[in-house]
Amino acid sequence: MNTLTKENKQEVTETVEGKDQKSATNVRVYSPNVDVMETEDAFYFHVEMPGVDQSSVDISIEKDQLILEGKFVMPQESRGQVRLAEYKEGSYFRKFTIGKAIHSDKATAKMKNGILELTIPKMEPKKTKIEIQK
Amino acid sequence: MLFRILDPQTKANQFWRDFDRLNDELTRSILDSQFGSPSNFPPVNVYTKEDEALVTCLLPGLEPDQIEINVKDNLLSIHGKKKSEELAEGTEVLRREIFNGEFRRTLELPFRVDGEHVLAKFTNGILNIHLPRREEDKPKKVSITIG
Repeated sequence: MNTLTKENKQEVTETVEGKDQKSATNVRVYSPNVDVMETEDAFYFHVEMPGVDQSSVDISIEKDQLILEGKFVMPQESRGQVRLAEYKEGSYFRKFTIGKAIHSDKATAKMKNGILELTIPKMEPKKTKIEIQK
Repeated sequence: MLFRILDPQTKANQFWRDFDRLNDELTRSILDSQFGSPSNFPPVNVYTKEDEALVTCLLPGLEPDQIEINVKDNLLSIHGKKKSEELAEGTEVLRREIFNGEFRRTLELPFRVDGEHVLAKFTNGILNIHLPRREEDKPKKVSITIG
């Protein structure tokens, strides 16, 4: 298994209590499906986030931790009587540990048809030669 | 079905009809959890009003031209095929959780649909299908005249 596949799933629970002022309402947290690809010079993440607008996606990289978040809000207007509800609004959350040196400031991301596409370039291993003093 | 009550006379009873339905659904959900049925992909929500229905469906990663919607009477079927994208040479797949392949889902609506005026919109991976009720299917008020 690759180092990258180390993943923190502990924090993902089906329902967690909302942290903000309306702490009484439960917010559903989904762990989104991801595809992760690696090439010689970059990592590619495809994350399923249907219903998430580009503006409500949060991606953060701190050291080797990649955190992906997104909020999925359904339209407020009345849509009629609910006959079948197989999904609900909530937020997406997933966390990865990347085991290789990356250029986090050169990462690029875009949303396409409900899929977040994230590219993180790898850092070329730097070679430092140390001269031995005589 | 898990088990069946054979006496046909019981069918007339509302209770046994409900019981049968429950039985049916339980069996299906047990089978689904054991064998993983693709029948509930993609997840949908269905809303109805007196004169229209709205079906919303999570289809992330699909292009609108990969989705086919068919309406016949009160049946809506959503069909699509998602191809896995070609990977450049030297790409290593570390994780693959996103669905690929073909799916079909058929939903029964509480009324017949006017197939000519169905509207479908695809935004952020969510498909919204507006299905107006067929004119002749709408409830009509009958006025009673005193004779």
